[in-house]
Amino acid sequence: MRTFAYSRADSVERAAHATTPTAAFVAGGTTLLDLVKLDVMQPSELVDINALPLKQVEWLDDGRLKVGALVTNTDLAHHPAVKQHYPLLSEALLAGASTQLRNMATTAGNVMQRTRCPYFRDPSAACNKRHPGSGCDARDGLNRMHAVLGGSEACIAVHPSDMCVAMAALGATLTLEGPDGEREVPFGEFHRLPGDTPHIEHDLADGELITAITLDAPLAPAGSHYLKLRDRASYEFALASCAAQVALDGDSIGTARLALGGVATKPWRCAEAEAALAGQPATLESFERAAEIALADAEPREHNAFKIPLARQAIVRALREAARLAGTTQEEQA
Amino acid sequence: MNDMTQSAFANPRVIGQRTPRVDGEYKLTGKAGYTGELHAENMLYGYPVPATIAHGELESLDLDEALAMPGVVEIFHHRNFPKLHRSPNSMGHGDQVSEVRLPFEDERIYYHGQYIALVVAETFEQARAAAYRVGARYRHAEGAVPSLLDSDAEGTLIDSAGSSRGDPESAFSGAEVQVDATYHIAAESHLQMEMHATLAEWRENGARLVVHESTQGVFYQRNAMARIFDLAQENLEVISHYIGSGFGNKLFMWPHAVATAGAARELGRPVKVVLPRQQDMTGGGNRPASRQRIRLGADREGRLSSVIHDSMTETSLVDQYIDACGSATPSFYACDNLSTSQRILPVNHGTPCPMRAPGEVSGIFALETAMDELAVELGMDPVELRLKNYAEQDPASGLPWSSKHLDECMKRAAKRFGWDQRDPGIGAMRDGDEIIGYGMATCTWFAGRQPCEARVELRADGTLFVACGTQDIGTGTYTIVAQTVAELTGVPLAQIEVKLGETSLPAGPLSGGSMATATTLPAVAAAARDALAALKEVATGSGGAFEGGEADSLSVADGAFNDGQRTVSFADVLETSRLASVNGQGSAAPGDEQNQYSFRSFGAHFVEVRYDPGISRVRVARVVSTMDIGRAINPPTARNQVEGGIVMGIGMGLFEKLDYDPRDARLVNGNVADYIVPVHADAPEIDVEMLDYPDFKFNEFGARGVGEIGLTGIAPAISNALYHATGKRHRDLPITIEALLAGQ
Amino acid sequence: MMDDSAHSQHSRESQQTLNFTLNGEAMTLEVAPNAVLLDVLREQLHLGGTKKGCDHGQCGACTVHVDGQAMNSCLRLAVMCEGQHVTTVEGLAHDGELHPVQQSFLECDAYQCGYCTSGQMMSASALLADGRIGRDDASVKEAMSGNICRCGAYKNILEAIQQARLAYDATAERGTAGRQEGAA
Repeated sequence: MRTFAYSRADSVERAAHATTPTAAFVAGGTTLLDLVKLDVMQPSELVDINALPLKQVEWLDDGRLKVGALVTNTDLAHHPAVKQHYPLLSEALLAGASTQLRNMATTAGNVMQRTRCPYFRDPSAACNKRHPGSGCDARDGLNRMHAVLGGSEACIAVHPSDMCVAMAALGATLTLEGPDGEREVPFGEFHRLPGDTPHIEHDLADGELITAITLDAPLAPAGSHYLKLRDRASYEFALASCAAQVALDGDSIGTARLALGGVATKPWRCAEAEAALAGQPATLESFERAAEIALADAEPREHNAFKIPLARQAIVRALREAARLAGTTQEEQA
Repeated sequence: MNDMTQSAFANPRVIGQRTPRVDGEYKLTGKAGYTGELHAENMLYGYPVPATIAHGELESLDLDEALAMPGVVEIFHHRNFPKLHRSPNSMGHGDQVSEVRLPFEDERIYYHGQYIALVVAETFEQARAAAYRVGARYRHAEGAVPSLLDSDAEGTLIDSAGSSRGDPESAFSGAEVQVDATYHIAAESHLQMEMHATLAEWRENGARLVVHESTQGVFYQRNAMARIFDLAQENLEVISHYIGSGFGNKLFMWPHAVATAGAARELGRPVKVVLPRQQDMTGGGNRPASRQRIRLGADREGRLSSVIHDSMTETSLVDQYIDACGSATPSFYACDNLSTSQRILPVNHGTPCPMRAPGEVSGIFALETAMDELAVELGMDPVELRLKNYAEQDPASGLPWSSKHLDECMKRAAKRFGWDQRDPGIGAMRDGDEIIGYGMATCTWFAGRQPCEARVELRADGTLFVACGTQDIGTGTYTIVAQTVAELTGVPLAQIEVKLGETSLPAGPLSGGSMATATTLPAVAAAARDALAALKEVATGSGGAFEGGEADSLSVADGAFNDGQRTVSFADVLETSRLASVNGQGSAAPGDEQNQYSFRSFGAHFVEVRYDPGISRVRVARVVSTMDIGRAINPPTARNQVEGGIVMGIGMGLFEKLDYDPRDARLVNGNVADYIVPVHADAPEIDVEMLDYPDFKFNEFGARGVGEIGLTGIAPAISNALYHATGKRHRDLPITIEALLAGQ
Repeated sequence: MMDDSAHSQHSRESQQTLNFTLNGEAMTLEVAPNAVLLDVLREQLHLGGTKKGCDHGQCGACTVHVDGQAMNSCLRLAVMCEGQHVTTVEGLAHDGELHPVQQSFLECDAYQCGYCTSGQMMSASALLADGRIGRDDASVKEAMSGNICRCGAYKNILEAIQQARLAYDATAERGTAGRQEGAA
């Protein structure tokens, strides 16, 4: 691990202004130190932001829930407001990583999580994300873990977060603080598709800091389910995951929210599939049609074609569970 | 000696009793010192620089930046590392190594992760930081072989690893029912929790070398290092008190230890190297990938007429390792016509090495899956098929078994499992979204012994000291050695000090091959008896506590002698004669019984898998096993090993695969996140029963050994259960989600 | 016992001062900014009970408590622990008496080689104190899945945790009763 300077930020403003382009903020450190040890990230300076007052979870007057950037994954997953009104987010958080890592990892840090592509993580491999223009060893290499949605010639690396998949489905807004002040970005616009600039992963400018993520007002009454499919039963990144939320209108689907993880280059909201579900009966046939639509543009490589049927299965099962829970909720309220 | 049914341990009080580990408190309070956390005065840290290519040459090294970094003392490489000698690499002479090529021999690169340099610095952080700044230019060579699984090369036939009886080819072609299937198993990583680690310190101006190593064989490492550094064995000490397990990859020394000791000699300061995990996985051993073809011929009644088992496994370009897949096959079933053959194929990996149940676990996967295929062909219950071909004596040697109760294993495990509730129809058993599959397989591992020496001291302070140069790799050797001397002397466990893992102690065996118990305990018992005899001589001698008495008339109980009238503790006997201690030496070795019997452990696994086809998810829900392992000296630690083997078998069956890039043979998943092993949530309900049939023909303790057998047979039981659930036969390990999806 | 002359001699120029509490004892250390908590414990403080199994948050052998929460010490810079309470396996026993988790690990043979054991126990002891984690076997197994045991002693570890829970709950109840009495 290279050497670097280390300092602690005592205010958001100073943190945002004091940094240089080669500096990095560190909160939980679970991605950053992992990658610094691999020499994949080489910050000259680390700015520790853990002392900043960004650890609150609070309801806003408009019914949205504002989550401070430094709330840990564990605290967010177990927060009463999240468990009651955003169980999808709680499930997704608890499906990620391990107890220890969730205790360290923060909400904003999870949004900034880097890909697990093994060629990205190996400085001696070709990777356009790590070293623009060097090529992509994953396209024709061992790409079992790679994306079937949102990829490009330059990059097919998967965004690894579970939390972000739930947030993509729930809808959220990021609050960013930078040298030019504060601004807001819709969650769906924050992460970038790789295109021919896979090294630009998100909308954050140099020196900018995520200070909060505000979840859209909960969809109610609704049922939701986060389903993560992987080789072993826990502590593994998704091969395919699905966040599904369904609000029923009688026997039909009123509103559906759907997002995928493990198969795409960014947290993948399935807007067309959602639209196709609205007004349809809550049946397997509807779910299967939605799954077909969601994966219609999928492009497999040599070793990851199985992710297409697997993601479809994740969608169908997650929707089924969400609809079942929505039905239960509806009955309870009737 | 041949028939030991009159064993002194026929009715033991401590042996066979549940005994908490005597080293437990050290492990539980963080006081047990594993190699990587040891320190020496003035110690330096080494950090190896791995090759980033798998095939070619190192064209140049750029060391300027790294050498200028703070704390860097030296960087060793092929141009400045001292010229050393290779080890003769002989199992018989006890100087076997894992990879005979020395580190930094030349500029040739044979595998990804091969060490091209060793950075030595004052602190760990400095060594690692500088290692990343070492620049290397390579000349790539064409023709890297990434894996046996990607190759159609024929490899080299190893005649000595094959066997034949009868006329298997004719018997197969004439058989009423045939199975002919090919099986593949991916290369696996031991992934022992503690990475390889060495702390080397030269003393007496370089005349004497003391090495702490996380090793399963201190004597093998000492002997090999003596050859490599041209030292008398007496001037070399290897120490390994606690080992974060090994599963075979710490049996024999690897190049990192030579690099560490060489650097320490050149710099005149102790050097410690702990391999980073990725380097542990590239250059610290692996189970080689295998391709096996099994042909079974049988009649309509299910009697086997032919077994042909042809195997090929990987080796490296710098050494030859043979993972003998067919070694258990000749002993498995009663069948007059049988052959096995073994080929090896060099690939661009670090040298493979034994990994838990080496060879046999792979062979048993193929054979026991093939037997299930035969049972399906015949429409016969797989248990019945196995009983029909039961080997009442060892068909390989013609010798009777010392003790075999495999039939009872199958019957008892089947009953506890509820095998009779199995509906043999494919996918016939369901529970909600899940299909339930039942499968079974049998398992075996040979029972071996090695020569061993031990020493026991009875001390005037009432304590007992016992020493043997074997190791405890987590199997509980410290504890069973203590139990043995407690049994013979009656000294309480709390007053017994066990010392293992040093070459200054009497020569002990490798901790491997499930042989440590049967090898070590007879020598320890002999030493204890020798010490008791010495003390009796003292007691009955001039001025002794039982002066004038007959040594033979003294009975031993609770750390004391009794002559029928008086009881005098060992401590008082020694005090009476003004002695600090008496010493007993013991040795033991396999004897003529080896020519009279065949020795193996046996077992049967029954597995329930639950397969959810809607989401392509398979989980092992339940494993019920019965093991015939002779006597368990300490039942909880023996059971623990079987249970651990079962967990590892789930990894082998469903998860584990070293991924080498087909383009350049580089290891792609060399880390603990991407190389998938079972976690807590994967652990099924496990019910292990151990039959208690002491094998006194094998040794006076009746113990055979239990380290490997739990692993064997699990993967085929899983694949057989999956067949029952889905109707798809999985012949390749691991059985991945994509393989399950392809079956739908 | 401690030999940190190397640290002070060769990298003093970039050292930072760290004040924290380790196993109940206030401590001031000079550490390099890029020194990881795990390495500082093992190499600088010679506290070898906390193990290195992967160095990347993938195995759990390095688990310690930071302000009472189980964390991977391999992914935490030492300097980030300023002002925090760090507990390692060496601080688990109190007054010479094993922690209930240590006692139950001993009784249930919840280990083999012992190398993952510190991490297992640190996760287990944090789990027992965390009311947010379910008490049933499935919840415990899920919560413990960040601690890999390659020897595969999972069954015994689970048994040990559930056994320790009984002792832990009893102690916690006594503790609560004591506090209530104190308040009254």
